[in-house]
Parts: sequence; C-alpha cells; structure tokens
Amino acid sequence: MTARTISFYGPFRRKPALGDWLVLTAIIVVAVMAAFPLVWMVLASLETPAETMRTPPVWFPATPNLNAYGQVAGVIDAGRSFINSAIVATVTTAGILLTSLLAGFAFAKYEFRGRSWLFAAVIATMFLPPIITLIPLYRLVGYLHIDGNLAGVIVPNLANAFGIFLMRQFIRGVPNELIDAARIDGASELRVVFSVVAPSVVPAIAALALFAFVYHWNSYLWPLTVLEGNTSQYPIVISLSRLLSYNRGAMNTGLVMAGATMAVLPPVILFVILQRFFVDSIVNTGVKG
Amino acid sequence: MAAIPNTALLPRKRESLLLGWASGPRNRDSRSRGNDAVNKSTHRLRAAPSIVVMLGPALLLLGIFVVIPMLLTIWLSFQNWSSETGFDTAHFVGLSNFQEIFGRASVGRDFKNALVNTALYTGGSVVLLLPLSVLFGLLVYQDRVRGGVILRTILFSTYMVPMIAVALVFSKLYAPADGPLNEILGAFGLPGSAWLSSPDTALGSVVLLNVWQQVGYFTVLAVAGLTQIPGSVYEAAAIDGAHAIQRFFGITLPLLRRTLLFSAVIAVINAVQVFEPVALITQGGPVGATNVLTYHIRRVGIERSEGGLGSAMAVTLMLALIVMIVALFALARRGGDEA
Repeated sequence: MTARTISFYGPFRRKPALGDWLVLTAIIVVAVMAAFPLVWMVLASLETPAETMRTPPVWFPATPNLNAYGQVAGVIDAGRSFINSAIVATVTTAGILLTSLLAGFAFAKYEFRGRSWLFAAVIATMFLPPIITLIPLYRLVGYLHIDGNLAGVIVPNLANAFGIFLMRQFIRGVPNELIDAARIDGASELRVVFSVVAPSVVPAIAALALFAFVYHWNSYLWPLTVLEGNTSQYPIVISLSRLLSYNRGAMNTGLVMAGATMAVLPPVILFVILQRFFVDSIVNTGVKG
Repeated sequence: MAAIPNTALLPRKRESLLLGWASGPRNRDSRSRGNDAVNKSTHRLRAAPSIVVMLGPALLLLGIFVVIPMLLTIWLSFQNWSSETGFDTAHFVGLSNFQEIFGRASVGRDFKNALVNTALYTGGSVVLLLPLSVLFGLLVYQDRVRGGVILRTILFSTYMVPMIAVALVFSKLYAPADGPLNEILGAFGLPGSAWLSSPDTALGSVVLLNVWQQVGYFTVLAVAGLTQIPGSVYEAAAIDGAHAIQRFFGITLPLLRRTLLFSAVIAVINAVQVFEPVALITQGGPVGATNVLTYHIRRVGIERSEGGLGSAMAVTLMLALIVMIVALFALARRGGDEA
C-alpha cells in the first residue's frame, strides 16, 4: 500500500479503467494520422533518389542525407525566396498590428455616431473570400503602379478586419481608469495606445502577430496573381510550385519534399514558440470541470 | 484582408469573442459600461481629432482594397471588360454575362460544373470537419488520460503548414498503384484508390487533404466551446443517472450549438477558397472533376482576361454564400427553439 503515495499510472491520471485505455488508443491513433504526412515529408527529403523510387516504398532512409536540400537551391533561388517571404510576412504583420491596435482602440473606447454601424461594416469584410475581389484588385494595383513587386503583395493587406475585431474585443477589457489616469498625466491619445493599452493586451498582440505572420508567409493566391511571373520577387511558397516540373515520377520526390520541409519550418517553429500565448490561454483559462 | 476565417481564434478570457459576437451583446463588458456615463464627456472632447488618426489608416486601407474592389466586382459583372485594360474600357451589357455563365455553351457548362464541384467540396468538408472537430475536441479536453495537449499541438500545427506544402506532400502520398497511402491501406487488407487520377475520386481526395489540414483549427474551436459548458451541468446529469452517451447528446451537443454554427460558417468560407491543390496538382482535372470556383474564376477573369464574365461568376459565388450563411443561421435558430 505504500506504493499508493508514489503510484504512477503512466499516461493515466488514476488506475486505468477500460474507458481510459480506449481514450488513450484514440489519442494515439489520431495523433499518428495527423502527424504522418509531415513525418513522411521529412523522411522522404532525407532519402536518396533510388530509395524514393523503390516499390514498395521505403519508409525510413538507410543513410539519411541532406543532398536533396542542396539540389533545391539549384532549381529555385531559395535564399532570395526566403528573404522575399520574410519581408512580406514581417512588413504585413507590422502593418496589421499597427492599424488593428489603433482602430481597435477607437471602436472599443470612443463614443461616436455610427460606431456600431461602421464596426458591423468592418466585420462584414471579414467574411469575404479573396476571390470575390481578386479581379478588380489585380487591375487596381496596376493603377497604383505597385503590381509585379513586393509592395503590391504587401500594401493591400496592411489592414485586416479580423485584427481590428480581435483588438477591439481585448481593449474593451482594459479599465477606463487606467486610460484616464494616463490622460490626466497629459499623455496624448497615441501615447495612451502605445504605452498603456498595448502593454495590457500583449497576449492578443502575440496571437495576432502569429496568425498574421503565418497567414502571409503561407499566402499563395494573391502573390501569384500580383507578381505575374516576376520570379525574382517570388516568396518561397510560390517558388516551391516551380519544383512541380520536377514532381513527375518518384525520381525527384526527395527534392520536392526537401523544398516543402524548408517552407514548412518557419511557420511551424513560430507556432511552437508562441502557442502558449493563444491555444493555452484559449483552452486553459476557461472553466474546467 | 481575408486573413480572417483562416486566422480566427478565441479569446483568453471567459468573454468568448467569436462566440460572443455570434450571440450579440450578451458579453458586454460590465466595467466599461458602468463608466461610460462618467467618461463620455472626456471621450467626446478628446475623440474628435484623434478619431481620424485612430480609424483613418484602417478604414482607408479597407476602403481602397476591400470595399471598392467589391463594388467594382458588382459593377463589372454587368460590363463587357477585358482585365488586361483599364476600367474605362468597360461597356454596359446588362445581364448578358449572367446569361452566358448560366447558358448552354461551354462557358456556362464549365461554370455550372465548377459551381457544383464547389458545393460538393464545401458540403463534404463541413460534413467531415464538424463531427471530427467535436470528437477530437473531446479527446483534447478530457482529463482522464494525459496527452490532450500534445494531441492539440500536433493537430493545430498542421493548420500552420502552407497549403502548397500540403499539396506537394499529398500529391506524392496519393500516388496511384503503389503509392504510400495505397500501401498502408493494403497492409490493413483494404483496396487502394486511384485518388487524384480518377474523376470519381479526385474531388473527394482534395476534400480529405483539406480536412487533414484544417481539422486542428476546428478542434481548438470545439475545445473552446467545451470549456464554456459548466461542470455543474454534468454533475447534475450524473446525479440523475445519465450515462456518457446521454450526457453527450443531451448536454454537450446542444450547448455546443453556437460553436458549431460558427465553425460551419468558417468551414464554408474556407472551403470556397480552395486553390493550391487544384492549381498545383490537378489543374481542375481529371475531366473537370476538381474544377472549383476560386480556380475557375481566376482562370477566366485573369488568365483569359474575361473580367466581366469572371466578375459575374464572383457575384454569383457571393450571393450563394450569403444564402448559405443565412440558411445556417436559420437552421441553428430552429434547432435552438426545439432544444
């Protein structure tokens, strides 16, 4: 009975019943199915061309090697593409954070005529699939002479209804006393936003930054349309599609998977680092039990 | 702009932002409301000039790059216009674009095919995503067995993967004959599939790829919904002797209704955006089986420069979406009255 005090049930929180075993099995099955395509992608990128061509497929490379990663650089300008992606994702994210913080503050803390009407109009744009506006937008950036370059990719995305919505929701929870105290001290409204409001909503800013960065790192339709074959400006996800011509037959599977792995790493790493800012807080601060 | 549906998330506090939004002003922050009367005067005084600074950038950008293009799309749907030329070259043709895209000629046949494919794809995605999200949500939320958090991390990380990489990976996994997935099915004694290479299975294969990528996001939404259900409700049910299945259908599912409505709306909006796997792997084929609207509208409106026709298709898609979302809300409301 002394074992009770140091009892350890492995993955279980108590002496497992049949139901607990079923739950554990289900978790493992779902996790394996979810992870399988990504694990396979990484394994295939480490195989030799001979291995990727073998049938039945070779699941684990005999001698893992990084040759395929070197080959990617021979097909696409991976370095340039990564820089383009980083510029697009970073600048767009910074713009979204700024415009969302300011507009979110106005919608949360200012009283003005037509506020709810205007806010509803902003929210409505959230539900508009990009294809609805793609054709005129494509011509519009031509008028602004930003087509064919990174500015054309970035500028139309600098404000975002979801960001405004998110910021407004969180800023509403910032006490008015805090804001008024800063005003009485003579702070300008912009100063109030940046030195009082922003520090109070850091988790929301982190979550928005993550989502904006990942979304614009991964974005495909708009950059493809606005860059019109100007390959020097391609972000990595579009350059990757040029590996497609190498995607016929199993010969170059390793090459394609190496390219895919490279594009996947930045958003997934960022997610793993920042996930505590949103997923944890979404799930764990709620009423549990 | 449309970063949203893909990037929607839930708040860290008990005030549920997205669900709260769907439910109206129920979640009003009582503290700020209490102070409104006191602060109104100072706010009004300060607001006048600074409101322009605060709202100006966002509204200007949304106006130029979302609202104006949307109005232009509607206007262009009644024009004959080549997207290679300026808007000034457009000339009014009434409803003839709409007649053409719903007509019997090849333009009409292709569009109607894309419309049907998109509807099937959307329906298939929603029908798979919602039940799976609740099931996986329960696995993440339960606390009898460890591993829920790890499962959530794995599931959600697939949502962070660029669709283009997903498409590349699945184009290999889906290889017919002895591709990896068919080998695995064979190991379990199941027959393989032609996947993307047969018109019968291609669209379904793209649905599966989409479900694999997005289910983690909807799982997180479901978990957020589950955390809102008070434990006392379950305790009361347990005292009444309700067993697990009764508790699920009697409590969990009805109380998740608002979450599921929101998930359904987002799933629909996400589904009509499918583009990368089609553009990259199938090019709409085989024999038009995966020709979906985002791909088709871009091909007609930009690659073939038929801006008027493409805009008419976009307007039709927009109307279809509005009808669909209104129907979903009506359905959820009716379900609510019965419960």
